[in-house]
Amino acid sequence: MARLLQIFGFLSVLFRGGTLTFGSLTIGGIVFLNFVARIANSQSETVTQICLRWIRRAAVALAVMQMAYILASSLILMQSADMTMGDVSGANFVLAGILAIASALAIVALSGVQRPKIYAVMLAPAALILVSSVMTSHAMARLDYRFPLAVVTALHQGATATWLGGLFYLLIAIPRSPDNQFARQLIARFSKLALISVAVLAAAGFTLSLAYVGSIPAIYGTSYGIMVATKVVLFGTLLLLGALNFQIARSPSGGSVISSLKRFGEAELGIGITVILTAASLTSLPPAIDLKADRVSRQEIAARLAPQIPRLASPAVQDLPEDVYAAEVTAFNGGTLSSASFVPGQAGTRPNTPAEKSWSEYNHHWAGLIVLAIGLLAFLAQTKHFPWARNWPLLFLGLSLFLFLRSDPETWPLGPNGFWVTLQDPEVLLHRIFSLLVIGLAIFEWRVQTGRVATGNARLVFPALVAVASALLLTHSHSLGNIKEEVLAELSHAPLAILGVVAGWSRWLELRLPAENKVRDRMAWLWPTCLVLIGLLLLNYREM
Amino acid sequence: MRLSYGNRLAVSLFAGAAMFLMALPVLAHAILLESSPSINTTVAGPSIPIKLRFNVRIDATRSRLTLVTPDASTQLLAISKNAPADILASQAQGLIPGEYRIRWQVLASDGHITRGEIPFKVMQP
Repeated sequence: MARLLQIFGFLSVLFRGGTLTFGSLTIGGIVFLNFVARIANSQSETVTQICLRWIRRAAVALAVMQMAYILASSLILMQSADMTMGDVSGANFVLAGILAIASALAIVALSGVQRPKIYAVMLAPAALILVSSVMTSHAMARLDYRFPLAVVTALHQGATATWLGGLFYLLIAIPRSPDNQFARQLIARFSKLALISVAVLAAAGFTLSLAYVGSIPAIYGTSYGIMVATKVVLFGTLLLLGALNFQIARSPSGGSVISSLKRFGEAELGIGITVILTAASLTSLPPAIDLKADRVSRQEIAARLAPQIPRLASPAVQDLPEDVYAAEVTAFNGGTLSSASFVPGQAGTRPNTPAEKSWSEYNHHWAGLIVLAIGLLAFLAQTKHFPWARNWPLLFLGLSLFLFLRSDPETWPLGPNGFWVTLQDPEVLLHRIFSLLVIGLAIFEWRVQTGRVATGNARLVFPALVAVASALLLTHSHSLGNIKEEVLAELSHAPLAILGVVAGWSRWLELRLPAENKVRDRMAWLWPTCLVLIGLLLLNYREM
Repeated sequence: MRLSYGNRLAVSLFAGAAMFLMALPVLAHAILLESSPSINTTVAGPSIPIKLRFNVRIDATRSRLTLVTPDASTQLLAISKNAPADILASQAQGLIPGEYRIRWQVLASDGHITRGEIPFKVMQP
């Protein structure tokens, strides 16, 4: 139970993200089946069956995630507040979870009935899944305008599920279409649905921003505001891809049209899932409008972002607190720990020491130099005039070693905590996974760049890892001891993450788009540009 | 075995989502906007009213207030059932001078569990 308590916050967000993702896939699938796949044509049977299969899988995954969420939260409440199962059973999150599980199981049962009329009936449990999701959204806990906010949240989530969840089904339906004409029909119908969804999504998102952010200073001055702004930028990227798809869908028939649409769709779906998961992390942040104190001012941001000479000399390991865990316990007992709200399992945070801040800046600046070099060499390699520059991925090996040694000085090999602590602390574990990812990235991309791998999925490892790692960065929490420092850190990490997402998916499109598509050439220059910008931003990262 | 396009797409999405979720920040949702007694203040005993106001609706039935006394023993405080939706109210009685803490844990109406502490001192009336 103690271990469960320690990782509770992490688990609750994990399950929340899972329910949002699988909920979107379930709802999106049912909407796709009813309004896109069911073309008055007997040839749609294969497409219908594949949609039903994936709707079933998504619904089962949703039910499992909801059960896990109810179980974890109930156990924590029972343990921490000395309650019985009976006491917990009437809680709002339990009722919402049961509603979602019952709806998901109803969908599983209905999807096995081979009658087209049943597909429309499935819209009812899909709507109930949406209701369940809204029951655990910010809207339900607001003091004012609860009902209108719940309606707007339902519209926002429903439109997201229809667009991004439906896109998954479009991508798996296209290869199963009996001919190009049928595939184009699917695309045309989905485009209309997506357009309506995007309009509803944007309008509802704007309304929710007014209610939860409320002012311009709250956008840049709070974590919630920065995350919303990041969502808006990524949404803009999605719109751009959607517009490209829309344009292609209306162009005259050609062999590469369907292929281009699929590739843009893949990038759109990947970025879309990133946005959904960012939304999941938003639910664990207090709305910006509620944070009146401790907002970061424009002057503070300008002072922090003003260019300075990078810190290329490190403080000594001895200058750092010997054991961060022990230091936190001491701070907690001494009353110097933040008494602000925290979730069960956390002990609050303590301010970082100047040595810790210098250590972190040094890490970011050297990483920036390496990434800048990678970006510039990638640029040279793209010109085809400097064949030696194609070895740029090997620089990632240096970055991996650097991250492994320096990211957690309190653990092995630099600090007193042994290697196994790696597996117990989620933050340390994450850093170690990052180091391994970077090695994988280096090897795969070096083989691609030097022509050792010319075709196949191995080419996609680099863009996929860059996109995923950037998404990770988007929600990488920084325990810096006070709310302002955390906001300032997020302010610098959000652009890095966005550039990383764009770099990953532009490289993906460069590799996947058919040669006839001219966008491919632009993508070839976009990702090295992003890498250079990431390097420059890292070089100016500061914590004091 | 060669995976189909749908399976590969789903596996990639799931793996990406799982990794992403591993890094989600574990931040609190309910914020304590004001309290009586306030953090690090001194109040006159032996009986003090306790009131905590949050930014969201609270499920008071499933929330807890615990008083930590100067000798580190704990005492569960009865929460009033008539307080507004965003307030936890109680009464601590028989407090001798010394350093105390109120440990609070709330279940917000959106299902988030949050906790915190309010250190304060009690002096002679």
